[in-house]
Order: sequence, then C-alpha cells, then structure tokens
Amino acid sequence: MNRRDYIFRKIVFAILTLAIVFTINFFLFRVLPGDPVRAVIGRNVPISKEARQALYEQFGLNKLVFPDQYFDTLGQYLQGNLGVSWSLRRPVTQVLVAKLGNTLLLVTLGQFFAIILGVTLGLLSGWKRKTKIDISALTFSLIMWAVPTFWLGIMLLALGSALLGLPTGGMIDPKNVNKPFFENLPDVARHLILPTLTFTLVYMGEYMLIMRSSILEVLSEDYILTAKAKGLSHWQIMRKHALKNAMLPIVTLIALNLGFTVSGVIYIETVFSYDGLGKLFQEALTKQDFPLLQGAFMLLALAVIVANMLADILYTYLDPRVKQV
Amino acid sequence: MFYTRQAVRPSFAFLACCVVLALILAACGGGAAPTPASAQPTGAGQPNPTELPAKTEPVILRIGWLGKPDTLNPAYAFLTESYLIFDLILNPLVTEDPTGKYVGALAKEWKAAEDGLTWTFTLKDNIKWHAGTPVTADDVAWAINAVIKDPEGWAALSNYVAGFKEVTAPDDKTVQIALENPIGNMEYRLSFLYTLPRKDFEQFKTPEDLQNFANDQAIGTGPFKLTQFDKDKGILILEANPDYFDGASKIDQIIFQTFDNADALVQALKVGDIDLVTEVPQSAFSTVKGFANVKAVQTPGRYFSEMIINSVPEDHDPPPTRNSALTDPQVRLAMAHAINKNDLVDVVLQGLGKPGVTIVPPILGGGFWYNSDIKDVEFDLTKANQILEDAGYKKGSDGVRAKDNVKLEFRLQFPSDNPLYPRAADLISAWFKEVGIKTTPQSTDPDALTAAITPVGDYDLVLWGWGPDPDPDFILSVMTTEQFVEGGWGDSGYSNPEYDQLYRDQQLAIDKTERQKMIKKMQEMVFNDRPYIVTWYEDILQAYRSDRFKGFIESPLGIESQKSILQAEPVP
Repeated sequence: MNRRDYIFRKIVFAILTLAIVFTINFFLFRVLPGDPVRAVIGRNVPISKEARQALYEQFGLNKLVFPDQYFDTLGQYLQGNLGVSWSLRRPVTQVLVAKLGNTLLLVTLGQFFAIILGVTLGLLSGWKRKTKIDISALTFSLIMWAVPTFWLGIMLLALGSALLGLPTGGMIDPKNVNKPFFENLPDVARHLILPTLTFTLVYMGEYMLIMRSSILEVLSEDYILTAKAKGLSHWQIMRKHALKNAMLPIVTLIALNLGFTVSGVIYIETVFSYDGLGKLFQEALTKQDFPLLQGAFMLLALAVIVANMLADILYTYLDPRVKQV
Repeated sequence: MFYTRQAVRPSFAFLACCVVLALILAACGGGAAPTPASAQPTGAGQPNPTELPAKTEPVILRIGWLGKPDTLNPAYAFLTESYLIFDLILNPLVTEDPTGKYVGALAKEWKAAEDGLTWTFTLKDNIKWHAGTPVTADDVAWAINAVIKDPEGWAALSNYVAGFKEVTAPDDKTVQIALENPIGNMEYRLSFLYTLPRKDFEQFKTPEDLQNFANDQAIGTGPFKLTQFDKDKGILILEANPDYFDGASKIDQIIFQTFDNADALVQALKVGDIDLVTEVPQSAFSTVKGFANVKAVQTPGRYFSEMIINSVPEDHDPPPTRNSALTDPQVRLAMAHAINKNDLVDVVLQGLGKPGVTIVPPILGGGFWYNSDIKDVEFDLTKANQILEDAGYKKGSDGVRAKDNVKLEFRLQFPSDNPLYPRAADLISAWFKEVGIKTTPQSTDPDALTAAITPVGDYDLVLWGWGPDPDPDFILSVMTTEQFVEGGWGDSGYSNPEYDQLYRDQQLAIDKTERQKMIKKMQEMVFNDRPYIVTWYEDILQAYRSDRFKGFIESPLGIESQKSILQAEPVP
C-alpha cells in the first residue's frame, strides 16, 4: 500500500470516528437527568409558565429526542452550523473559536518548553547515567510528573504574584482591553508567564522520563557498539545514531499529548482565570447547554483524532517500516 | 489531506512566534521584578513623578468576582451578576434601599388608588439617557408595556408584570399603571422593570431574536455608563455618568474582572490587583480578615439551608416512596429536637451565619416580614428520646427505634455540588443515632435529586438550600401545592389548603400590615408542620481594600450595590 492510500484510509476512519462520537455525545447529554431550561435559568429568577413553555419550543425540546432532535442537529452539523448556545445566546462556533485560539496559544507555548526541557534533560540523564546529574534530574521529573496540576498552579500563582508582581489572572490587564493587539503583546506575555511555567513543569516530567528510557535502550544496541568501535566520539554517536532512533517514542507522545492537553489544560486555565476552553466546558455542563456541550466535545474529539492522524502520517516519514504495511 | 497540511504549517509559524514571545517574556519578567508596584497602594493611575497631582487622576475601582453577566439584555438575563450591572447602569421606577425599604429611583413619588388597581408615579427632574437626551414618561411606559405585550420574549421579566393591564403616560412626568387585580408586592416587582431605550429593543420580530440580542452597548439612565463588555475575557468596564440626576459618583471608573478560581481572587485582593471582592469563599474568610489594608465585611444574607422532610400526600399522583413514619408529627418534632443548629453554624459554617428558624430570612424587607415570635425548638436529645418513647417507638437490639414494624431508618440525601452538606449530614446522623433514628447520608447529583423529588416523591430527608428574593412571595410560593409539579419549585410536597389560600390572599393585599400578618401566619404553619426544618441562615462575605476606598454601605444588598458605590469615595 502506498502512502496516499494509507493517508486516505486514515482520513476515512477519522470521519467515521467523528460520526460515532457525535452520536454517542448526542444521546449521552440527553440521558443526563434534569431539565435544561431550568438549568439555564437557574434559581435566581422565577420565570412565568408561558415563558418557560416558549423556551422549550424554541430549544426544540418539545420534539422527540429520536428521530426529530437527532436529525435536526445532525442536519445542522452537516451544514457546518453548530447552533446557538442556550445560555450565552451566541453562535457556538463563535464562542469556541474565541476560546480555542487562547487555549492553543497556551498549549503550544507550554508544550514547546516542556518538549525542549524534557527532551534535553532526558538526553542528559541517559547519557550521564547514574551520576548526580541523572539522579537529580530524575527526581525532579518524577516529582513534577506526580504533583497535582491544580496545587502547583496555585503555589506558583501565590509566589509569582507576591514576589514578582506577576498578574493573578486573566489574559490582559483590564485597562488594556481596548488597545490594539500588538501594543498588548508585552502585557499578554506577562500574563502568560505563570500558566506557561505551570504547564511546562507538569508536562516536562513525562517527556524527560520517556526520553531517558528511550535513549538508554538505543545506547545498548549493537550498532552503537559498532559506532564506538569505529572510533566515533561520544557526541557524534549521540547526534548521528542515538538521537534519531530515540525520538520515535517522543513523537508518539507529543502527538497524543497535543490532543489530550486541550482537555488537560482545563485545570491550569481555571487556576489562572485564563480565557480558554476550560471554564467554558464546566459552564456548559452545569447549565446543560446542549448545543455548547456538543460543540465543545466535538472539538475535543477532533483535536484527539487529528493529532493521532498527524502522528500516523508523520510516522510514514520518520520510520520507513510503517510506509510498507 | 488538505487539512493536515494546513494544520502542520501554522504550527511551525507558531514555534517562531513562541521564540519571539519568549524573548518578550524574558524582557518583561526582568523589568517587572524589581518594582513590586502592584503591592503598593499607589492608587489607580500610572505612577509617573512628573505627572499632574494625584487628584486629577481618575479614581478606578477594580472589582473581582467569580462570575460574569450572562447577557446585558434584561429580557434574557438570569444570573445575579447581570442584575448587579443593571443596578449600576439602568433604573427602574422604584428600588430597594440598604434598609430593605423601597425608595424612588426614577420616581419622585407614587401612590396607589383606593381600590389598588391604578398606580400613579411622578418622575424626578432632569432624568437623561446616557446619550444625553431627556427621558420622558412615555419612555418609561414603553419599556414596561413591551414586557406586558411579549411575555414569551421577555422571559426573565414577564413574571413581574403578571396582572398588569397597561401602562400610560398622561403627561411628560406622570406614569400610570393599570392592573387587573391588586398586587401586594407592587414595588418589589417594579424594581426589576428597568427603563430601556425603545430604539434598541423595538426592532425584534420574534422572541428568539429579542433574546439573542446581546445589548453589549447598553444605554441606560443609571449612575454609570457601560464602556466595554468583553464577554470572552471576562472584563466589564463602567464609567461614571457625570449628569446623573441623583448626583454623580466619586468613582470615575469601575472595572469588573472575572476570576475562575477563588484562591486566585483572594490572592489578587491581597497583593492589590483588585480593590473589592463581591464574594469571599467561607473557607478563606478568616485568612482575608488577617490581610493588611483589607476590610472584611460580614453581613446577614438571604441564603438559608434546610432539611426537607418528605410531606407528599398519600393520594398524590404518583404516590410517594418513603418511610411512612415521616408523616408522624411526633417523629418530626423529635428530629427537630435532635438537631443542634448552633453546632451546625459553628462547625459547618465556621460561625459565618445564624441558626435558622423560618423560611423567611430575618433580613427580608429589613426584618419586616420575619416572624420573630416563633420560638425555635431547643436542642435536647433526652426530650427527643422521650417524645419517641411516648409515641410508641421502641428501641430494638440494634438501637434503632421501631413501631408496628416500621423502623426509623431514613435516607439523608444532599446535592453533591455543595461543600457544606456532607459535614452537616454527618453531624445530623450522629445526633439522630442517639435518639434511635438511623440515617444514611448520601451525596447525589443535584439534577438526579431534583428528578427524584419533584413530582415523584422518592426520598425521605434531603439537605438543600434557597436564596430567596428580596420579597417573601417567591419563597412562600415554594410551599404551595401547585408548585409540586413537573418543572415547579416545590420540593417538600407540602400541601395545605389553608396555606395555599393565605398565599393567594397575600398576593392581593395592598395594605402592608395586613400582608405582614398573613405572611407571619404562613411561616408559623410551615414551622409547626415541618415540611422543612430550616437549619441556618448564611452571612454574605465580602472584602475591600481599606487603604484605597471608604464609605461603602454594609447591607444585605452588598457593598457593590448602587447606593453603596454612590456613597463610597477614595481614601486620599
């Protein structure tokens, strides 16, 4: 099978998966006990019976869940219309796009530093196995991997705001909200320091550990011995022979993480009041805002699926064995 | 294929951006570190020594809160946060003041006709829209009529105009409201009917269109103008209205900033990133009290918690599923004797509240509606044991009492989203055990719990709470028979024709003392029949930077209410 067929097959599978996710999600939310209209209006404003009834009809809740509501929603989705959020009264696509950009910024920055730091530390550890460097790097990574994200975030927030005067939350200082994008860059960067640091520390440990064990495995291979026998320097062995082979598991991990960190970042966003998808998910769930919930979960599913697909495709380039399945 | 390409490329661009950002980051980190400016009480402006004297700098009040308005369109606003903003930028005819009385907002004076069917309001002078044009009686009438004519569109407000016939404006300064029947809580209802600009709201053809209108550039008549509402970033900025008819505020600008995390909010107050917190979490209140330059404010509030006792009548459709001993008044009395409310307040609320008695909290209407004659059942385990013994419930070998093979064994459920109830349930279970009642505490998803309660009636005892309206009408309605239906607010199944009649009568009573008498009687009925055992009233916990501001009014309305902010001023 050539590469084009391989990729085509992957895409067909991805679309199928999305369709299944859509269906499961659709029914999952509707199986939840409770009354969405009541959840949206909450307990603060007693509304009249007529208004309540009108809302049921507006939301289409007076129709049968299956087939009416299901095919209505499916039809909307096929036209690329995710509907209007019941609680926010804005198009779901608009809400998601506004938040997704911010989440991606944080995730990309965090992943970038986590990968650089994790891979470097892992390499160093593997290379200098059983030295003080190795042991302290290993301990540090294990602790960071095990520490609860939420707790680490709060600690960094308390320290950062008290000692360094870093902002306690948000994406920009409210006073700058009207300024043009480029003037706000320094302010946005200041607000990103603590969340990015938290993210980096939390995810770095995993990369470090994988990289370390991977490099150790590669270093025990026969061809490394051959290289040594040829008289190559330590550095040359690392660069030309070990690193490329040791990177394979890391690529898998990065791809998987790209998908999952979009949901994993929820904690960090909540701690730093960062305007991303995190808080949105929580609100949509407590308000039983079906259109928003559906849209958000589709986006998550999409992130995981696309990241996996990318990894698969990337593999065909990195590992010649995958090309000829 | 196409998509994957697209996704790959920007991520490289992103990496480039990251590097740039990282550089900026480093630059800023270095620059910001040596001057912990935000920790110093420098006031609001940019600290610049060569600038004009501090007086001319705008006074900015930064408020941190854990929510944000759902919308600024009153037709579809359900969150408390929205009403807080409406309070600052809009005006109704009358409004509640910090003592719980109703005073004129747009109205200078008003009176009801003898039969209670016509109310006449005279407007104050010099009322202007934020845009500068004068507000006429016609404008006021239009806004209320809009709600009367389209109750489905104005979903959040239509309940307040039930029984309204028509609003007219005989002249520029007079508004007349004609009613179908007398309304006992007319002023309360009017306090939510804001005067809104006709040109913004009359263009919508369907209820859905009206409700989808964001009103992000809201124009009103209030002491503050909306300058910015960035929903996504959770930032809302108001600016003082210098022409406000009741006198302009000494605060030039208010910035509301949303925090998603209570610990971060408290930290922001501590380091001075914000000046006022509308809601301090109970667990953090004692810490906040210890902050330098911060005043912690504790005021009695409207929220109360209760233990619901299944009171669904046997002939209800569907019939209730419960332990039948719960219908025995003696069992209820014994349970009331076996709950130590003082302990609940001390342990569960950490002292930040008061023991509860009736379903009308003592602060409603400044205490006008609360029945202070009701003496609470005292905590006395011996007495509780005696009552059960006399009623024929004998202790078995397992220590659980029973009569006619009915054991006193109850489910004790509570909603899983409240951190207070697990503690309370444990304490109550321990006391009940001592009088021979066995309860199994059980945390339940709130939606599942609602589904099991109303109108199914499948529960024994439930811990839950309410945040009643400023007027007692709503919380009293919860106990009426007609609310125990699908989608209704009833959760005890209490059904008492005499109570239901009193509820309808108090709605029509325009004489306040007469209404008060009925409402006190209703509290007594609920207290004696015990569909609820009210456990505690919660205090409102707030805080502000006392090194920057003073003069807030501490009341159940909160220090962020319009009257309080109009009183507040910067510390020189």
